[in-house]
Amino acid sequence: MTNNSQAGPAIALAGVNLSLGQGAARVHILKDIDMNIGSGEAIGLVGPSGSGKSTLLMVMAGLERADTGTVAVAGENLSALDEDALARFRGRNVGIVFQSFHLIPTMTALENVAVPLELAGASDAQERARSELIAVGLGERLHHYPAELSGGEQQRVAVARALAPNPAILVADEPTGNLDEDTGRQIIDLLFAGHAQRGTTLVLVTHDSALAARCGRVVRLRSGRIDGVSAA
Amino acid sequence: MSVAAIATKRESGRWLPLRFALRELRGGLHGFYVFIACIALGAMAIAGVGSLAASLADGLAREGQVILGGDLSFTLIQREAAPNERAFLQSHGKLSSAATLRAMARTADGQATLVEMKAIDGVYPLFGKVAFDPPGTLADALAERDGGFGALADPTLLARLDIKSGARLTIGNAIIEIRAALTNEPDKLAGGIGFGPRLLVSEAALRTTGLLQPGSLVRWHYRLRLPQSDATDAAARAVTAQARTRLPEAGWDIRNRYNASPQLERNVERFTQFLTIVGLTALLVGGVGVGNAVKSHLDRRREVIATMKALGASGRRVFAVYLTQVLLLALIGGVIGAVLGALLPFLIAWTFGAIIPLPIVPAVHPAELMLALIYGLLTALAFALWPLGRAHDVPVGELFRDAVASQPRWPRKIYIALTAAAVILLATVAVLLAYDRRLAIIYVATAAGVFVTLRLVATLLMFLAHHAPRARSTVLRLAVANIHRPSALTPTIVLSLGLGITLLVTVIEIDGNLRQQFAAELPAKAPSFYFLDIPSDQTERFDAFMRAQAPAAILQEVPMLRGRIVSANDILAENIKPKEDAAWVLQSDRGITYNGEIPAGSRLVEGKWWGPDYDGPPLVSFEKRIADGLGLKLGDPITVNVLGRNITAHIANLRTVDWQSLGINFVMVFSPQTFRGAPHTHLATLTYANGGTPGQESAVIRVVADAFPMVTTVRVKDALEAVGGIIANLVLGIRGASAITLLAAALVLGGALAAGHRHRVYDAIILKTLGATRLRLLSAYTIEYLLLGTATAAFGVLSGSLAGWLIVSDLMHLRFTWLPLPALAAAGLAVVVTLVMGLAGTFTALGQKPAPVLRNL
Repeated sequence: MTNNSQAGPAIALAGVNLSLGQGAARVHILKDIDMNIGSGEAIGLVGPSGSGKSTLLMVMAGLERADTGTVAVAGENLSALDEDALARFRGRNVGIVFQSFHLIPTMTALENVAVPLELAGASDAQERARSELIAVGLGERLHHYPAELSGGEQQRVAVARALAPNPAILVADEPTGNLDEDTGRQIIDLLFAGHAQRGTTLVLVTHDSALAARCGRVVRLRSGRIDGVSAA
Repeated sequence: MSVAAIATKRESGRWLPLRFALRELRGGLHGFYVFIACIALGAMAIAGVGSLAASLADGLAREGQVILGGDLSFTLIQREAAPNERAFLQSHGKLSSAATLRAMARTADGQATLVEMKAIDGVYPLFGKVAFDPPGTLADALAERDGGFGALADPTLLARLDIKSGARLTIGNAIIEIRAALTNEPDKLAGGIGFGPRLLVSEAALRTTGLLQPGSLVRWHYRLRLPQSDATDAAARAVTAQARTRLPEAGWDIRNRYNASPQLERNVERFTQFLTIVGLTALLVGGVGVGNAVKSHLDRRREVIATMKALGASGRRVFAVYLTQVLLLALIGGVIGAVLGALLPFLIAWTFGAIIPLPIVPAVHPAELMLALIYGLLTALAFALWPLGRAHDVPVGELFRDAVASQPRWPRKIYIALTAAAVILLATVAVLLAYDRRLAIIYVATAAGVFVTLRLVATLLMFLAHHAPRARSTVLRLAVANIHRPSALTPTIVLSLGLGITLLVTVIEIDGNLRQQFAAELPAKAPSFYFLDIPSDQTERFDAFMRAQAPAAILQEVPMLRGRIVSANDILAENIKPKEDAAWVLQSDRGITYNGEIPAGSRLVEGKWWGPDYDGPPLVSFEKRIADGLGLKLGDPITVNVLGRNITAHIANLRTVDWQSLGINFVMVFSPQTFRGAPHTHLATLTYANGGTPGQESAVIRVVADAFPMVTTVRVKDALEAVGGIIANLVLGIRGASAITLLAAALVLGGALAAGHRHRVYDAIILKTLGATRLRLLSAYTIEYLLLGTATAAFGVLSGSLAGWLIVSDLMHLRFTWLPLPALAAAGLAVVVTLVMGLAGTFTALGQKPAPVLRNL
């Protein structure tokens, strides 16, 4: 597979294999994945349930380690990084949006968004978090706890949190899976706006073919293998 | 619907909460181990203490005749029974007499030591059996042979003087031959604490010693065995009443088999109450664990609760289901605790039975076990009703949202009222069943105060953390934020750690102060010796002798008699209701003296001193605190029985006395003419300017024993050692009981940390996903625990020291010295334990890779 972007690859996977589980329950999830994603590109990962989309996303985000093969993200070989180095790498380079939001329930919206900035040592973490929240339309909900926000609002906080450190890579795992159609559309708009305005590489896992079509390229997975690639 | 169908529906509805509760528990008791352990520990302590005390009370009741030495005992001080008194006693049953006194025993090689001598008649013992080794008949063992009177000696006397059976000692003018080692003295327990080993001799031997001088400190015990048919409590009371009316001036201390050793019974009751309070503290600390466990369980069950409600369960029904569950769990814990507690008397009788000089009759005491169970259930209710009440209002909407932290909410008024009722009931039971209700009320108020204060400390800490200026360091900011966030561990850690440290510091302060006062160095200017029974006609010679022997030491000498208070302010002693700390004055005979001047070590606080030349009617000076405790004031009449005569004096003034100087002090000091002509002896103390050396002291014992065979020398250090031994046992008891409470505190802390573990793992994974390294997270958690631990420890040291000061100075009436180092060390250790426990749980969270956890979230 080739990359049609002008810049060098933001994400480069070569011969990636990954199995999960123990003993008889061990399942070979990713099989010989080779993929290059150019900087600033938007990629849609589609495929049936259990095809390995989310696992592949986790490998790209440095949340899961490949058994074999190499994973290079933003010029860094992730296989060579230990647990802590991976954490630091994520903090600097990767923004993640989950289907289930994964906000810290004991922190306010503002604090949730400020966390990656604070961890990265930003002196203006609060201010930047505030502007990110205002940008996603939550200027009035800065001091609300996740329990006090609707699902859509929680996901907007998650998007703001992912975009706040201006990551090179933005990955989103079924970000609209828990939301109604309208709210889902708003979240996707926010993600694409972030991608377009900041030149961030976007990798989007989705079941929704219409949504995937908004990406520059769509990679189809089946049983852990790349089944096809189509340009949108 | 038919009536029968409605009835069946009601019937089935009644058991619904139980069915649901049991169904929920089908998955096992996971998550409830701390709950059950907390209740079990507290119930075990209470059931154990209660069972042991009841077993001891049974033993005392069953062995009453043996302990007392008869069905009735009449004790006289400094005099034998007059012929009419003896005749009265003989008319009511079989009589046996025994005399006890302290004396100096000297060996041929010049050693001298204090012995507690007991001279018995041929009838002794009326009950029980004297055992000695080598065995033989008692009469033979005590008989006079070859100019020496036989004696049975406590094995410690043989060891102390390094002598064997057959050795000869001199006591006064008598030669005493040790015939055997005394292995069992049936009525030993009624005697109280002895300062020397027992030496059992015949009455003839005592008379030969020449120690029976007018005024010498000898107690004559007359024991009566009632005819078999009369040996009831009523018969004993009837004889007592007759003795009081027919011989009102006898001044004897009368006891019967049902109160063989009132001092011991009081001590057992007091110690039982103290240990019950410690047990109750363990339960209260455990209650925090119960509350935490219930809260955490309901948090985990929110979805289930919401589902039940969606399916038609009312809030009240949900409450009933979980209340039933809590009661079942409390019952399990309570039964485990009661069973373990019931075993305690058996265990103690089995392991220590041979060495404890107490008649423990181990048995299962259902009332004590039931009480422990009730305490356990009430504690569980007091701490669980609040979080249970919150379950009433879990919204069904939770089913339609992602799991998010619930905001703490006040439960409905009915549940607040129920919680208050459970707390009040618990406090009422504790107060009503207490031996000393005043103490119990103080305890309840203190416990409530500590709980409220700790909650306030937690709130203050959270407030300060919330409003603290933003730290530059991310780690510090994270740590501080963890302290004040919703669902923060702050309140539970502060409560459990705060209670633990408070208790630990209290015990350490009491422990240290008791040890310091009884085992460590003597107070400055404390005398080295007390000399008892110095005959009046030998005081000048004794004075001159001591000045020659110890020229640098100070000799203080005062006349001393023994007397019992017969009445105060015209109320008979047995009808006076004294305050707890003054009761001892009425319980037996007291040393009394007379003086023209205010005695050294006393300070006049009310009234006037009579002056050296006073020659009017008898006056008495009373110690202020005791006078207050007996409800006496200036001018009130006091009647004391001295040598069989009742003497009435009026209170002329009140003094305060520094008891801890260990100098010669008396509760009652009379005007000089009060005892004109009464035979008495003198009491003296010898004080070295810089404390005596062991060499000086052993020389004094030897020369005094040689020159004044009638005088008994008590070395203050030996006496303090004897008391110190008892204190050491007391301290051991306190430590043992407190260990249970501390274990409960550690359990609660562990439980609280474990309950927070789920949230910690979640937070740690998300933070790692967002770029936090393990070191940063570990640092943040370390700082958080250290900040919390240190702040709580500061409070614990403060409140524990305060509690220690109150107990030592107010309840024990001893001088309190703050011991900061052990308190701080203990608090520091507690903080380290918290840190280790907290981080141990967090460490596993940090080691987890994010992806597998995220996949399951």
